[in-house]
Amino acid sequence: MNVQEIEQELAHLRAGAVEALAATSDVKALEEWRIEFLGKKSRLTQVSRQMGGLSAEERPIVGSLLNQLRGQLQEAFDARLSELEKAALAARFAAEQIDVTLPGRKTKRGAMHPITRVIEEIEDVFLGMGFEIAEGPEIETDEYNFERLNLPKDHPARDMQDTFYLTENLLLRTHTSPMQVRTMERMCPSAPVKVIVPGRVYRRDEDDATHSHAFNQIEGLVVDKGIRMSDLKGVLEQFAKAVFGPNQAVRLRPSFFPFTEPSAEVDVLCVNCGGKGCRVCKDTGWIEILGAGMVHPNVLDWAGYDSKIYSGFAFGMGAERIAMLKYGIEDIRQLYQNDLRLLSQFARTLV
Amino acid sequence: MKVSYLWLCEVVNITGVSPDELAERLTRGGLTVDGVAPRVKGVSGVVVGEVVACEQHPNADRLRVCQVNVGQDELLTIVCGAPNVSAGQKVPVAVVGANLPGGKIGKAKLRGIESQGMLCSASEIGLEVKLLPKEQTEGLYILPSDTIVGADVADLLQLNDVVLDIDLTPNRSDCLSIRGLAYEIAALYGRPIRFEPPKRAVTGEGSPVHIEIATDLCSRYDAQVLSGLNDVASPLWMQMRLLTMGVRPINATVDITNYVMLEWGQPLHAFDFDEVRQETIVVRQAHNGEKLVTLDGEERSLTQDMIVISDPDRAIGLAGVMGGENTEVTQKTNRVVLESAAFDAPSVRRTGQRLGLRSEAQQRFEKGIDVVAVRAALNRATELYQQICGASIVGDVASTARTEEPAAESRMVAFSPSRCRELLGAEIADETMQDVFSRLGFHISTSNFSGSDREWDVAVPTRRPDITREADLVEEIARLVGYDEIPSTLPEGATTTGTRTLRQKIHQTTRHILLGAGMTEVFTYSFTHPSQLDRMRLPEDAEYRRMIPIAMPLSDERTVMRTHMLPSLAQIGEYNLSHGNLGGQVFELARVYRPKSLPLTEQPIEETMWAGLWFGEYPVQLGQRPRAFDFYDAKGSIEVWLSAFGLGHRAAFRKTNVPYLHPGRSAEVVVDDIRIGQVGEIYPETAEEMGVAGAVYAEFHLDAIESLLNLRYHVQPLPRFPASLRDLAVVVDQNVAVGDLLYAAKEELSSGTESLLESCNVFDVYRGKGIPESHQSVAFSFIYRATDRTLTDEEVSHLESRVLARWQREFAAVLRS
Repeated sequence: MNVQEIEQELAHLRAGAVEALAATSDVKALEEWRIEFLGKKSRLTQVSRQMGGLSAEERPIVGSLLNQLRGQLQEAFDARLSELEKAALAARFAAEQIDVTLPGRKTKRGAMHPITRVIEEIEDVFLGMGFEIAEGPEIETDEYNFERLNLPKDHPARDMQDTFYLTENLLLRTHTSPMQVRTMERMCPSAPVKVIVPGRVYRRDEDDATHSHAFNQIEGLVVDKGIRMSDLKGVLEQFAKAVFGPNQAVRLRPSFFPFTEPSAEVDVLCVNCGGKGCRVCKDTGWIEILGAGMVHPNVLDWAGYDSKIYSGFAFGMGAERIAMLKYGIEDIRQLYQNDLRLLSQFARTLV
Repeated sequence: MKVSYLWLCEVVNITGVSPDELAERLTRGGLTVDGVAPRVKGVSGVVVGEVVACEQHPNADRLRVCQVNVGQDELLTIVCGAPNVSAGQKVPVAVVGANLPGGKIGKAKLRGIESQGMLCSASEIGLEVKLLPKEQTEGLYILPSDTIVGADVADLLQLNDVVLDIDLTPNRSDCLSIRGLAYEIAALYGRPIRFEPPKRAVTGEGSPVHIEIATDLCSRYDAQVLSGLNDVASPLWMQMRLLTMGVRPINATVDITNYVMLEWGQPLHAFDFDEVRQETIVVRQAHNGEKLVTLDGEERSLTQDMIVISDPDRAIGLAGVMGGENTEVTQKTNRVVLESAAFDAPSVRRTGQRLGLRSEAQQRFEKGIDVVAVRAALNRATELYQQICGASIVGDVASTARTEEPAAESRMVAFSPSRCRELLGAEIADETMQDVFSRLGFHISTSNFSGSDREWDVAVPTRRPDITREADLVEEIARLVGYDEIPSTLPEGATTTGTRTLRQKIHQTTRHILLGAGMTEVFTYSFTHPSQLDRMRLPEDAEYRRMIPIAMPLSDERTVMRTHMLPSLAQIGEYNLSHGNLGGQVFELARVYRPKSLPLTEQPIEETMWAGLWFGEYPVQLGQRPRAFDFYDAKGSIEVWLSAFGLGHRAAFRKTNVPYLHPGRSAEVVVDDIRIGQVGEIYPETAEEMGVAGAVYAEFHLDAIESLLNLRYHVQPLPRFPASLRDLAVVVDQNVAVGDLLYAAKEELSSGTESLLESCNVFDVYRGKGIPESHQSVAFSFIYRATDRTLTDEEVSHLESRVLARWQREFAAVLRS
């Protein structure tokens, strides 16, 4: 064979290889192609073995031609391999495709009751201000529910809270305030006393949209030397901002509770309109959320804290009322109806 | 309390202060005004007219044609359908163009005759018809014959008045009167009061009535005898004021006592003096079982702690509460004795409560009256009886008071301006405080120096019984200066840490774990009915049946405090299933109430439980068959909860038998031999009756958890040697509990010196083909590991054979081939 013949042969070989390569459809066919055109028994190898019959001048020329072709075929092979691998992967992905819109496997998180939600939120605010949390008996004595709170028997202020009695001296607490006395007795003589008391209370009220014979209160009490009414206002302002939003403000109005003096009703800016005036706040811009005041000197003295040395403030709020305001629940009975269609809306956190 | 704005204007100068402004100021000062409303809305152009002539309408049986003089040149022709119309009457006439609450009056033709207006009834001009006697509300509202024709009816009847609805706190009994409100408004605005006590000359002539006080519960009793009272109606102005304040006008005799009570806050009572035997009034405590028929016709049985007014023979009135029928003033009454007294507040309150009475008088007495007003009110009423009823005074006032007038300023209260500033945290100048006290009419009588701190003695008038100590005066300062003047600060004392107690953490963690396990929290009431326990098939002597009764329950369904959580939760399940919810898993953390003794003598045990209910359908999961919640759903959540407290491995579920749970599908949960709760399918019949068929119930005693917790926590070091994993399947009788197999395996392998069993879990339970009848195949995976070496196959096989031998011995288990 001369150089020309070899050149022809190689051209023919290239044409055939390129055609065959394009026809490969998978990695397996490609491997067969490689063996056929680049393998030890391939024509190319055979041709290169014939190099021995060539002259010294012809040999490098043919060698270069052979190398060139081998390189071209190898390159084409690599490209085809990568193409086929990509296609194979794409085919695999297509085959393995799932419907990502189908639901995941899960245990659906349950919903915390809005009352607990409110109580926990308020607890956290006051824990942050260094208050401890206490709980007390729901079945109280007349003494702690009333007398020690400056509400003697036959006092007309007892009408402010209709009471469920169990016996002449045992009753269902009408407020969490008895825990003011019980906490002071437990702590005395140490100071400061800083406590909040969440808990269930009872009033002899017929249930309707805004009244419930049972509801939850959160009591607060601070006793120390030098406690001022301005501290009450400041602490409640912190509370209002934390629970109702940073733009909140509180307003105190004079009121009466037998166990505080001075006493106040406390309003916050209407949670619905922000103070502009609306149906919820009856166009006043304010809504009442709690009662408060400076601990009455009698209550301090009877619990062991000399009112000439110590002073304190106390407040009490209804968890249901706050939940209703915060979440737009219009009937307090819904909170005790426990319809899962309502409660499940509270599976959402952080609002 | 409803209050007339016009009446207030008369007694205190509030020129330029609108009713709305006044309401706002009162509210910000502590007297909450719940509402401000015109007494009658939109009456104008109504004048007094005299019916000059009244003839039958030619075309209508029920209509009359009246000629009415309204003070104009010509008479008006007005067609009227009221049955009581007749000539000579003076009535309100809405002339053409007049406005009434019901609309504008125009000319109208009635059966062919043109009517130039309308003669009005009480309701047509907006009067409080509910408070008027029937005869004044049926037909035309007849005005007194001396009424001036042509006068404006809105003015005459004070229809333009505005009513303030004040929600008084119980301490402000002083404001249960126009006089008290006048002082309050005068203080709020710093304006003068126009309230003069009536002048009364003493004649020196003795009173015919003899008064004896035989109880400590009456501190003062004044009485005036009057004779020759005419039985007349009270004047219109008085009737209108009573109506505005929500009091029913009756006749002058009664109206005057009510009017003076509203004006002075002092309740009065008139007795028919001729019925008071021996002209003697004895104030004493009642005899037990003594009877008195009160003015409402009810016979009352009295007790010793009630104060009665009596004559020497019998009770004639319940002091401060209600008079007796035997001395009621009637048309025949010739002489009356008018009582004005001070009775013990708690006693009056108790009496009223005991007898279920709640009169206006009683409400004032029980909150405390002003002793200064006792005589003044009596004199005022006497004056009105003379003016209105033509009564004559019979002698001077008979009184038990030692002095003619009690000191108007009866109480001295020490007050330190600097302590006031400290307590409020507000910089209020001494002068400002002096001004507040002077506006209130409190006199600073002395000014002491105690060290550097100046102290004032503040003389508080008797009309303010609520002010007894410094804190009360501080509140007066704060509320008159305005609570808005108090700044916001934070307490300055020692720093404290706020943390939850262990018990609180247990409660909180329990909630959060159960929420994470997919359960929704509920809140139910603590009241229930004993019959709820019947459905739970509890024996008669069950501890749960010892329930604390509520003395006066509000509803027949809620009469006792619950001892068990199942009925409460079952109600939630039933409600949801009947309201379109297919199922759910709910829990509650709440208390049950266990009396130490019944009847209750001391506070009961209030135990906090968490209880759960799994009812209805399990939520649809893709690729799974629909199914109901079952025992294992409940148990799974419980296991998660136990693990969170480190009790997962220490807790054993043991078959149990309680009346309200399925005997084959219920377990008690025991940790270290302490039973902490139970779980099970509700007994089929019970569940059916409760409307939650198939539901699973669980309850746990949270208070029992606390002592079981291991609060020290130390991690296990990571293993240094490999573990050996072996699976083992055995065939046993189907009644063998897998838990027992597990327990036996663990016990067997922990009995040596070193524990080589790391864990052992069941992974398959199979019954059916290939397994003998009434047997089951149970497959376990064992993980063995030593801490100091790699276990050899021989060691592991030996351990395995020990387990198998034990199972064979105890449960007749056979290795599954």
